[in-house]
Amino acid sequence: MKRILIVDDAATMRMYYRSILEGAGYQVDEAINGIEAMEKSLQEFFDLYIVDVNMPKQDGYSFLSELRSRDISQNPAMMISTEASANDRMRALVSGANLYLVKPIKPDQLLTNCRLLLGEVHE
Amino acid sequence: MAPITLSHEEFLKFREFFYRKTGIQFEDSKRYFVDKRLIERIEATDSGNFRNYFITLRFETSGQELQTLTNLMTVNETYFFREEYQFKCLVSSILPEITALRKKQGPIRIWSVPSSSGEEPYSIAMYLLEYWPGINLWDVEIISSDIDTKIIAQARRGIYSDRSIQHLPKNLLEKYFHYNGEGYQICDDLRQAVEFTKVNLMKPSDVRGYREFDIIFCRNLLIYFDDLSRRQAADTFYDALNPGGFLCLGHSESMSRVSSLYQVRKFSDAVIYQKSMEAQ
Amino acid sequence: MAFIKKQPEKVIEQCERKRERNCASFELQLSDPNPTARRWAARDLADCLDSSAALVAQLLREQNSSVREIILTTLTKLGDEVAVAGLVNCLRSEDAALRNEAIEAMKMLPDEVAPIMSQLLQDTDSDVRIFAVNVLESLQHEQVEEWLNEVIEHDAHVNVCATAVDLLGEVGTSYSWEALENLKARFPDEPYISFASDLALKRIRGS
Repeated sequence: MKRILIVDDAATMRMYYRSILEGAGYQVDEAINGIEAMEKSLQEFFDLYIVDVNMPKQDGYSFLSELRSRDISQNPAMMISTEASANDRMRALVSGANLYLVKPIKPDQLLTNCRLLLGEVHE
Repeated sequence: MAPITLSHEEFLKFREFFYRKTGIQFEDSKRYFVDKRLIERIEATDSGNFRNYFITLRFETSGQELQTLTNLMTVNETYFFREEYQFKCLVSSILPEITALRKKQGPIRIWSVPSSSGEEPYSIAMYLLEYWPGINLWDVEIISSDIDTKIIAQARRGIYSDRSIQHLPKNLLEKYFHYNGEGYQICDDLRQAVEFTKVNLMKPSDVRGYREFDIIFCRNLLIYFDDLSRRQAADTFYDALNPGGFLCLGHSESMSRVSSLYQVRKFSDAVIYQKSMEAQ
Repeated sequence: MAFIKKQPEKVIEQCERKRERNCASFELQLSDPNPTARRWAARDLADCLDSSAALVAQLLREQNSSVREIILTTLTKLGDEVAVAGLVNCLRSEDAALRNEAIEAMKMLPDEVAPIMSQLLQDTDSDVRIFAVNVLESLQHEQVEEWLNEVIEHDAHVNVCATAVDLLGEVGTSYSWEALENLKARFPDEPYISFASDLALKRIRGS
């Protein structure tokens, strides 16, 4: 079973993603910010990361750049934000995200993109 | 009067809140344990029901009730070799890394806060003597501080109850302690190994002189502080550490609720926080 | 055995140096090239009542995150009007880290932030409104639920409402019932809004 780490400080948002992903057969773990996500990533393996941009202590950009630069995981990461500007998108990609989505996120949109990043769809 | 109970939704609400504040996550299987303690506090505070109690817990500026509850939800006991996996990590990973990268002369410096009655700093000293060959090559300074002068005096005396020594291997108990009728007296060599000082972590003038440490142990203390004090303590440790220095927290504590100053490191025995090597 | 002791003299030497210093010199030291000196200046300024302006100014240009963290800790301890205004200013920064740091600091200043809350919730920038809702999390103010209801009933931006409804799951009472139902009706095509509103409603009914 593929394992996904959701990194978001909003509890309801984590529950929302979790219900969608578990419904599709993924195993899910959660972290409240970049530091907790780092703690978990050092101890467990995740096939995919779903990361919010704005979080206390360590934001999404800084978490992903640390994850990549310390080579803790090069597995795909989806970054989710409320900001739609080209600048934000570019920053996300530079920091190590493979995909940038703007909120609100619909269930099928989340799943399609997860499958895409996990290499589960072939067009 | 009807007994106080918690609905499932209230349990979930509390669980989320407590996780956000402390990083401690209760599984569903812990429901009975959590309810029992919550109800105990609802009664003790005369809140009447969960709803009123939850308001106090969330909004009380002093954070006093959250601290009391955290105390109840966690086991805070001090004894020799408590959370031994970290001492293992100290001798097998941390000290070898520090000594390998060490450029300057001078002792390895360790700060243990809070000293409480001395079990932790003496455990560190004992562990180094027993399990770290480097002790023959390196000088080590162990400083241990507490805000409470009475407890410091007790730590200096070094007399312990059965409870404190219960997890010590028998050979170490025989080697480093003798029973003196009152309790187990720790030997003079170990008493000499630790310098005890009084420190209030919240007072810049108290902590200013604490610098150039390689390792700080601060276990099961921050979890009882309010957000601001926790953060101030983490800030203080940052300037007390050398670049590349390590900070060890208790097993239920996480820097993710405190400060973004440190890097998370994983060793075979433990997760430890580190001040960056390039830090200035 | 190689345990050694030699500690106290350092402390004394430092204390003596301290005596010669004062608030004005701490403020100067905030721009010292050495980050350790800047951190200590920021820490020491907690005892200087008029130092918020200097701290805010340094915060905005400070590149070193460890210095920023301590400046923010001190601003939180001072918590005066200048400090709060400085933090609000940071919410508009392009720098995500600084924004989040400011939100965290503001959460630790509930009483000081409360008076400007309704103004922040009316800000023209939807991101600032989202951050304001984030800050609301820590506020103990009789109006919190009312403010949240105001947001979910009237804010046109779905992400601002989404943030507010998340918090209502924790602080909502039966008072929010209608507003939550209205929110669902306002955004019928947003599954997250339905999910979060239903969750909040369930929590409210269950307690």
